[in-house]
Amino acid sequence: MKVTVVRSGGFSGIEQRAESDTASDPMLARLVDRVDLGAVPPPGRIPDQFLYDICIDGATATVGEAQLQGPLRELVHHVLGRAR
Amino acid sequence: MRCTIVPPHILERLAGGDNPALRDMAHRTLVFSSAARTRRRTLAVRAPSPAEDFVPKRTVYDAEGREELPGREARTEGQEPTGDTAVDQCYDWLGVTFDFFESAYRRDSIDGAGLPLLSTVHYGRDYANAFWDGKQMVYGDGDGTVFLGFTGPLDVTGHELTHGIIQYTADLQYYGQSGALNESVADVFGSLIKQSHLGQTADQADWLIGQGLFAEGVQGVALRSLKEPGTAYDDPRLGKDPQPGHMRDYVETYRDNGGVHINSGIPNKAFYLAATAIGGYAWEKAGRIWYETLTGGALSAEVDFAGFAAETVRTAARLYGADAAETQAVKQAWSGVGVRA
Repeated sequence: MKVTVVRSGGFSGIEQRAESDTASDPMLARLVDRVDLGAVPPPGRIPDQFLYDICIDGATATVGEAQLQGPLRELVHHVLGRAR
Repeated sequence: MRCTIVPPHILERLAGGDNPALRDMAHRTLVFSSAARTRRRTLAVRAPSPAEDFVPKRTVYDAEGREELPGREARTEGQEPTGDTAVDQCYDWLGVTFDFFESAYRRDSIDGAGLPLLSTVHYGRDYANAFWDGKQMVYGDGDGTVFLGFTGPLDVTGHELTHGIIQYTADLQYYGQSGALNESVADVFGSLIKQSHLGQTADQADWLIGQGLFAEGVQGVALRSLKEPGTAYDDPRLGKDPQPGHMRDYVETYRDNGGVHINSGIPNKAFYLAATAIGGYAWEKAGRIWYETLTGGALSAEVDFAGFAAETVRTAARLYGADAAETQAVKQAWSGVGVRA
């Protein structure tokens, strides 16, 4: 299952993009099991906040950094962290 | 597969729709974002006497590397420097920004009525950002390899505090063209505060935003250039500055609230063109035209570039005369970026 994370916004407006696959990333597989993209609140419009577009196997959500908590937060930082 | 964010007009349609789950979700979002607007419209601002000296009420908090606001109180108004560079820089730049709005436009703080200035520094770990959360400013220390601390450049503080002023005045909605105008106005006054602090005229200024934020080795001079949008950086790790400086290059995207940090290049360039055509200190005339347009009450919160441009021309005509050189400069600036004023 492919997971894509794109960070946009922030003061810089510089985009970061990363993806990973649960087939080769057991940590990601465990995180995906704990995440429910349907339960994510819509992003608030906070000037210069980071926004995260998260796609998990076709399901998508956009999350503001203020709403990014729990396993979803771990997942986002895990996927973006692997890209560095 | 496409990850989308929901623009306000779609939320409004959902809020009146048949699907109860979508309707509730849309209502919650709309209620959250309209609360600030309601506050703004119901707050009466008393008129200051002409001689009144406005004084800032600053408090700088320290998040100590956590992402919790506001954090531990580190320095309040009138206290001596703490020795913590980020705390003291932040305190100083808040003072410079406050003084700028007082001396240039007789504005008493963010809300025009002496609102305390609250900032949190040392937010998060390797956090390469600064933002305005609706109540306060927040600054990260950067990651140290690409970005240095966000308390460093004066124009970053000027930009964030201006987001607060926008919230209490025109409340430009943070999506699409009104969102790009929100970003642009924050950049314009961020740059003007720096120009005023350095005593620079329009032709002496660098017109950069975020100069000094990049760590050594990054190929770029700053994050944005009002003078030449799209030329601020070109680096293997960051990519190239994506800002357009003309409507023909307007970027349609759903990311970044509809490209608010990208398309702001167009009104940024228009301001630069107006300010350099008028000449002298940019905050005195061009800045005043933009400030009075922002705070004059005529802008709708969802205004687009053309609507904003037309209002700057009306403001210029009111301040300097319909046939004045200043008004002509503003008209030509907008046509120079392909916006019909």
